[in-house]
Formats: sequence, structure tokens, C-alpha cells
Amino acid sequence: MTGVATMRRPRSLSEAIDTLAASPGADLLAGGTDLVPALRTGARPVREMISLRRIVELRARGAAGDWLTIGACATYADLAGWSLAPGLAATARSVGSPQIRNTGTVGGALGTASPRGDLLTFLVAADAGVVVTGPVGQRQLGIGRFLADRHGPDELVTAVKLARPCGPQTYLKIGARQTASIPVASCALVVDRVRRLVRCAIGGVASRPVRALAAEDHVAETADWSTGALPPDAAHRFGELVAEAVTTAPDVAGDDVYAPAAYRSHAAGVLARRAAARCLAGARGADARRP
Amino acid sequence: MTGPGAWPVPGADRALERARIGRSAPRPDGPAKVAGTFPYANDLRVPGMLHARTLRSPHPHARVRRIDATAARAMPGVAAVVTAADVPGVPTYGLIHPDQPVFAPVGGVARYVGEPVAAVAAVDGRTARRALAAIEVEYEPLEPLTDPRRAADPRTPPIHPNGNIYRELTLRHGDPGARGPVEVVDSYLVGQQDQAFLACEAALALPAADGGVDLMLATQWLHSDRDQMAACLGLPEEKVRLTLAGVGGAFGGREDVTLQIHGALLALATGSPVRIAYDREESFLAHPHRHPARMWFRHSATRDGDLIAVAARIVMDGGAYASSSPAVIANAVTHAAGPYRVPNVRVDGVVVRTNNPPCGAMRGFGVPQVTIGHEAQMDRLATALGMDPVALRLRNAIGPGDLLPTGQAVPPPLPVREVIEAVAAAPAPPPATAATPARDRPGGRGAQADPARIRRGTGYGVGVKNLMFSEGFDDSATARVVLELDRDGQPRAVVHTACAEVGQGFVTIAGQIARTELGLDAVVLAPADTAVASAGSTSASRQTWMSGGAVRKASVAAVDEVLRRVAASLRLPPAAAATPRRLLTLADGAVTGPEAGVSVGLADVLAAGGPVDVTETFRHRPTHPMDAFGQGDCHVAYACAAHRAVVDVDLDTGLVRVVELTLAQDVGTMLNPLSVLGQVEGGTAQGLGLALMEELVVTDGMVINTTFHDYLLPTAADVPPLRLIPIEQPAPEAPYGVKGIGEAPTGTATPAIVAAIRDAVGRDLRRVPVRPADLVLPPDPTVYLAPPDEDPEPQGPAEPAARDGMGLSDATPGAGTPPGPDQPPAPGASP
Repeated sequence: MTGVATMRRPRSLSEAIDTLAASPGADLLAGGTDLVPALRTGARPVREMISLRRIVELRARGAAGDWLTIGACATYADLAGWSLAPGLAATARSVGSPQIRNTGTVGGALGTASPRGDLLTFLVAADAGVVVTGPVGQRQLGIGRFLADRHGPDELVTAVKLARPCGPQTYLKIGARQTASIPVASCALVVDRVRRLVRCAIGGVASRPVRALAAEDHVAETADWSTGALPPDAAHRFGELVAEAVTTAPDVAGDDVYAPAAYRSHAAGVLARRAAARCLAGARGADARRP
Repeated sequence: MTGPGAWPVPGADRALERARIGRSAPRPDGPAKVAGTFPYANDLRVPGMLHARTLRSPHPHARVRRIDATAARAMPGVAAVVTAADVPGVPTYGLIHPDQPVFAPVGGVARYVGEPVAAVAAVDGRTARRALAAIEVEYEPLEPLTDPRRAADPRTPPIHPNGNIYRELTLRHGDPGARGPVEVVDSYLVGQQDQAFLACEAALALPAADGGVDLMLATQWLHSDRDQMAACLGLPEEKVRLTLAGVGGAFGGREDVTLQIHGALLALATGSPVRIAYDREESFLAHPHRHPARMWFRHSATRDGDLIAVAARIVMDGGAYASSSPAVIANAVTHAAGPYRVPNVRVDGVVVRTNNPPCGAMRGFGVPQVTIGHEAQMDRLATALGMDPVALRLRNAIGPGDLLPTGQAVPPPLPVREVIEAVAAAPAPPPATAATPARDRPGGRGAQADPARIRRGTGYGVGVKNLMFSEGFDDSATARVVLELDRDGQPRAVVHTACAEVGQGFVTIAGQIARTELGLDAVVLAPADTAVASAGSTSASRQTWMSGGAVRKASVAAVDEVLRRVAASLRLPPAAAATPRRLLTLADGAVTGPEAGVSVGLADVLAAGGPVDVTETFRHRPTHPMDAFGQGDCHVAYACAAHRAVVDVDLDTGLVRVVELTLAQDVGTMLNPLSVLGQVEGGTAQGLGLALMEELVVTDGMVINTTFHDYLLPTAADVPPLRLIPIEQPAPEAPYGVKGIGEAPTGTATPAIVAAIRDAVGRDLRRVPVRPADLVLPPDPTVYLAPPDEDPEPQGPAEPAARDGMGLSDATPGAGTPPGPDQPPAPGASP
């Protein structure tokens, strides 16, 4: 990492936007959990860098009306105990080691957009909005659009917006080292008891998190929404449909060093069934259960 | 029995720092290592040094047509580029056979992905890396040979002038055709494990005024490196001087030369100090790994459970260069029957050359692979017999005086029975319940395993491992002890050996031995270097016995010299002066002799007569080569161990949590109980890694997972606390009765864990590491099927005769096949 060209350290968002406008495409440094190793190994060339670590406003998180807003530089550790967002907190707790959770950020997860990213999978299930800011101002993109189009070279991700939970949500994951490692397969399930629907995303199985739409519809139709309970055979079918969704995903990952593809779809089905059992057990009402 | 809580905490007792043998003296380098201030070889820096990088072949098999380094040499900041053309001495090196080129030469062949082609020294690492990119190399890709079974086929064209077979071994003991009424036959596959020491390879090379070179490096055997370097550099050995720098783990991965010659060549070419250091990815490519193995076994027993015969065939993939393959296969073959009394044994082992990454030494040295096989077979046999697996093992446990498959009588002690009984008697951990928190269930908190779908399993792994070098190798270790006065006029001892401290604790033990023998607290260890004669390799569980023996011998000689001087000054009668130990004792810094009425301070003796300076060489009893049938007194000594593993398996996901590990081990005499615990904890963790996660995945000669992101090492999340039950039976031939302890538990942890998983899920597991997919997906038959003339297909105990195979010499299926016509009865056979 010798010979860093320049490192700019803006103290405010507006200064960061100006800096980025002056050198579009510069590397953005927040937690550095992806960038620093890539620079060390030479996988990424060293060029201009903008550190976002001094911008306090990017670390803010809060609730307003129906929305939760999480600043792009909020770390996993910041989110791990957040009672307003139990699914997000569960996801944050499952990421890596304490060292990674203390430094890795929400914006970094979106910037890297690793198909195995824990947070990305949950954000897809939560149908999150991504706020990007550039010289012409702010705009909000749905997570799907963000992943498809990304953002301009003069823009940066400044926040993520989530609807306030309207039901239980969870994030389950299979990864080596008793899940301390990146997921082989993961499942985020968000239940909306007001709108009577669920959203389910599977991570680690394709080039981006896979939404299991048929499985979601099945739950919406078979759940008893007055109690929030899903009959056991419907939960079982939900697992099967999720496994199918993984198998038929357009760019599903093949066999690799972590697992054969067949294991991934099997594991996704098991996790989905478990997630449904946790979130759609009935009796507990709309209380979000923490894993 | 001793639980982890019973061990002393280092630092709690300052007096322990000066403890003598038998007590848990703390490591002198421990605090610095924990605090992060210990200087490892990677930390060495000198002003004005250059940074070196190595260009490696991206092909598993390719002819080097042309190398053009003109552009690289012309780059600003580049000091030198060296290739095969710049090697002044012998172009190849190797631990046993010098068959590996320093650099793949133009016109020659690069035989594995990662084989060095050139090296660059530049003002900084980035410039060196850019220079590598500027070196033009034209390769002509050749067809890679990556299937070890094809390499073993004599019809396959050789990929090296020395041929494709490193060594083929035949062992015939007793009646090779003997069979029993109960048989189990199966084949097993062991993946490729990496030593994965935490501090990657590093050295600092300094050109010397005499035309030689000084190297500070992390290695396991200074003198072996020096000899290989001197030959390739074309320098006399005395001009190649090596000093051990801080070593961050080794496990066999530093036995081979990697960056030593490259660094020295660049230092000599530039006249500047050169730092050469690998990152993890390069480390994975550069050093040899544990041999992947494919093994076929047939165990026969009486209906009462007495072993009658073991037949085995072992095919190991040695990769592109020989390294220590010839010795590894000898260990695999001679240990294939395990710690059991087997009257009739036939083992055929072969280790071959392929275009896969080279394989060599790794903790256990060929034994862990066969232990996985023979222990799986013992469990299968117990099932076939309807016997308890512990009872079957106890019934067949080998003991002192019994004959090993080599015809060698087991040298005492070998408490196989005791280690098995000890682990079997240890209390079982409490069962998992619905109240077990998710983080303690298989897969941890993330997987939220359903308690109703968790199954518990218990498994045993018993093994024996030879200690020290074998097959007639003239093994020696030298130590120098100097008794002198320090600047305050106080006596002190300086202990100087070339023994590589790689983390095993020799720096602790050497001090304890010297303090014990010299009766002196002030003992200083000189840095290990080539200024003193060889200590041999820090491997094969040998340094406490060998270099420890040398330190003891030199310390005893130093005491004798002191007593002789005192005796001479007292003008004792010649008879008494000749045996001064009868009258005089050196203890607590003074020579006393109550009968002679003497009390002289050691300081006075040294002040009067000058320093005492003695150098002694220690040798173990000689061994002998094996004959054509694998018979002979080829190993010095053995140590045995038994693990019991308890696992929980999530039947839905196939995730495994190792709940508990108990180890009973034959430890000889414990010179430092804490050090013993540290060694066996590490060995156990490494065995757990091989059982569950550690595998270098090689596809078409390419290593796919060259980072710790993808090559998974066990962490504290995976390894439960270890309960150690040391079985102390002093080895009469060894100094203080010690036995090497680092290797045996690596071999037994793996099969114990695999057996426990088998017990939990009820599947025959034939492949190690065991992956979650192996426990939940339908078994993939193609993994285990192989051509019928090579590997038999796996099957149960039914119809054993028809499945006899793997190209063994018996053409006729059926029981009781006699040795072939050209095979005389094996010597040393026991009925």
C-alpha cells in the first residue's frame, strides 16, 4: 500500500460531494474492510481516496414517521442492538467477527454489493430504499434498482431507508466457523402483518440476493393473518418453493469451494422453513422476535 | 486425570520463570508474542534494503520458451532481475532429491502453478511488483498430469527426467494371503491440508564483504537450508551464514527451501540487503502441503474380534517435486495397520509426481492420512462384529514387545491400552437440550438449528506415530554450553544450538534443562545460527529428545569440567580427581564437597580458570533401512494417543459442532506440562481442521482457495476446550524419558471427529474433510468410484474377495492368495 496518491478527508457531506465532484470515481473509504485488503493485494490500483470517516452526519440513524433512516457510515456494531429494527440487528450481529462489525459500514455493504453480503440480503427482503447524494442533490432508489443501475461516479450512498417493522423479521445464515464466516446461504424474512404479506430474500446463491416471489405469495395466501400463524405443511411448502426459487434463479452460482450448488438450494429451503417457523408461529402476535 | 483448569497460569508465579525440568516454566518469548512486539522474520528491516518479489508460472505444466527481462531491468527503481541463467551453482535443490529448479529455465519446464521463474529486487514492493509484470515470459502449455493414479501408471509419459514415481514401497509381514471370517473393505480419500503457519515466509539477505551472504530467516532447519543454498549459489558452506529470525509457526511447511536462494541471489547481485517476504497467497503457492491420499483397506478378523490381517494400498500425490515424499510414504506404509497387533500385513504404497502443488512434510508426516483409514476400518469392523468400538480396539491394542508390521518389536513404553481406557472412562459431556443456546448448537446463532433435529455422536481415534528420523538416517544434534562471568562478575551459562524455535517451546525447555544440569539460574540462550553444528530439523517430534539431549550432554560435560578444575586445585588423589562427581557437587552457583570440606564459588572457578566452553553432539540409537518387503528396525521410537470426540450434527443442514474433545497421550516424561498442553491443543485443532474444513482445493493443477477467506482454519468458535489426560511412562532411551508430543494428536483428532459424525448421522463417510453437503445430499457415487484395476468401489463387508483390487499383485480373487511366485516369504514374519 505504499505510495497512496492522495487521501482527502472531508468533514461534512457537502465537502465530500464537492471533493467527489472534483475527482469522480475516487475510492471511498469508510470501514475499509473490502477496500484495504484489495489495495494490499494489488487487486485494486491505488488512486485517489476520499475518507468518509470524519463525516459525523453519515453515522446518524433514527426513526421518523413510518421510516427508519440509517446513515451510510453506521457500522454493524451500531446496528447490532437496535431494537427498532430487529431484523437488521440480527443481520448485523451475524456479520464476521467483532473487529469487522466495529468497522464495516452499511454504505460499504452497498458499495461492494457482494452477492454474499449479509446486509444486502436483508435490505432486499426489507425492500429498502437507498439514498444517494450528488452535486444535483439527493435521490432515493429502490434496492433492486440500485443494484441494477448503481449510482453515478459523482454520487455517494448517504443513507438507507427502511419501513418500520410491521411484524416479525429474521435473518438466518449458514456459514463456516459456526457462521462467523461469509454465508454459504442465508435467508432474510420480513413479515408485514398490516399488509398481510412476507418478503423473503436468499443470499449467497447468485450474483445478487434472490427474491422467492412464488414462496412469498404462498405464505400470503395460506397464513392465518388474524393470528400471524402459518400451518406446518404450508411452512414446509414455503421451504420447498424457496429452494426451487434458488435452483431456477437466472444467474445461480455453481459448485464452488464453499459448497455444491445443490447444497445451497437445500440449505436455503431449510433456512426459509426455520425463518417461517420463527416469524409465523402465531401466538406471539406482531412482536418482532429477536433470534 | 487433569482438566484444563488444573494447569498453572504463566506469570502467576515469577519463580516459575527460572523453573527446572518438570515444572511449567512460561515461554520467555510469550509476553512479547501476546503483546505483538515479538520480532518475526517478516518484521526485519535494515536501512537501504531492497524488496524482492517472485514471478511464478501460471501454468500447471508448460515449457518456458523465452524470458525477456529487458524492460523490467530498465525500470527506474529496479535493482536486479534474476532467472535460472543467474544461478551460479547447481541449478536444482531439494530436501532428499535435488530435483526442483531454483527457477524454471528457458528451454526447461515449469511443473506446477506457482513455480518460480524469476525474481526481482527493487526499491519498494510496488516497484518490484510492477517489474514482475514487465517481465515477458513465453510459455508453451503442455498437457498437465493431475491424476495421481494416472501418474502411477507406467504407460504415462514422465513429466520429469527422474520419472513420475517418487517411491513405491511394498510391505509384507506374516502371511500376506491370510484372511479371516469377518472382513471389511473400503476406500478413503483425504484432501490436501496446508500448514497455514500464521507468519508467512520471510528472510532478510545481507551480502557480506567476503563474497558470501548472511541470511536471517524463518526456517525449521538452518543447516539443511545452508547446504542447499551453498550448492546453488556455488559458494563454500562457510560463506553462507544463516541466523534464525522469529518464526511464526512451521508444521513442516518450512522444511523446504522456498525464498532462501532467491533472496541470496538478489543480495549478491545487487550488493544490497534484500528483504524477501511472501503474502498469504504466495505462501500457499510456495511451500509444499500435506499429501492428499487415496487409500484402500481390507481388515480381517476372527469372529471374536482378533485382527488376522490388514491389507492396504495407498496412493499419495506428491505434486511436482520430490520434497520429502519418499519419507512420507514410508511413514504411511509402516503405520497403515495402526496401533494394533496384526500378525499378517501387506501394504503397497506409492507416491507419485504430478503437476499439482508439491507436497512434503506436515505435522504427522504421512501418518494422519492412514490413521483416518485404519480408524474408520476399526469402527466398521466393530459394527460387522457387533462389538463395542472401544472393546475391539482394546482387544487388539499393541504393546511393548509385540511385533509391528515392519517386524520391529515395539520399543517400550507404548501405553496404547492405557490411552484408550483413559479417554473411554472420561465423563461424557451433558447432552444438548432445547435449552442449549443457539450459539452453542451446530452452525451457531446464525443457523438457529432445531434442537429436535440435532443428533449427538461419539467417536474414537487411536494412533501411533514414530518419533525422529528413520530408515538409517544419521541423525544428530549439537549444543554448545559456555560457563562464563557476566559483566557483574556473576556466573552465567550461554546455551548455543542451531535448533529452530518455531513455536514448539525449545527455548523454554533448553533453559529448563540447562538450569537443572548446571544448578544455575542464569542461563542465556544464544540466537540459533550456523556458527554451531547442526541441530537437525525441528520436525519429526525430535527436538526435545535430540537438541534437548545435546543441551543436557553439553551441560553435564560443562559441570564435569568445573568439577575437574576444582578437584585439580584441591590436589585430590588421582583416583578421586578422575571421578570428581563422587566428591563434589555443583549447585546454586557453588561447588561443594562436604566430605572433602570444600565450598568454592563457581564465579571463583571461572575467574581462575577462564570460561568453560564445551560442545557436545547427541545421537539416538541407529535405525536401519527396510528390506524389499518393508521389514526392518526402521523407526527409533513411537508415541501413541487416543482422542474421543463428541459432536452435535444438525441433520437438516449438515452443520457440525464439536462439543468436546478428550485426549489421552503417551507423553513420556513431561519436562514442562504447560508446554505439553500447548502442543497437544494445537495438534488437536489442526486435526479438527482436517476433519471439518481445511482443504486446499486444486482443480486442473490450480489452487482455488489461496486466502484465509476461502481456506478455512478452525477458530475459537470451532474448537472446544481440550481435556488432556497425560500418560507418563518415561522412555528409557531418551533424555529424562521424554517423548515428542506435537504430532500424535494431529493424527488422532481427525478420525475421532469423523467417527463421531458417522455415529451421529449413520452415514459411511469416506472423504475427509467432511463437508456439510456430505451429510445431507445424496452420496455422489462418482466421488468414490474409480477404474476397477485401480480403486475398488466402496462397499460394505459383503463379498470381500470379489472386490479385492487397486491393481494389487494378486490376480486371483479369493481368500488365501499366497505371495506371488517371485516373492519369497517375508523375513521377520510372525505367524
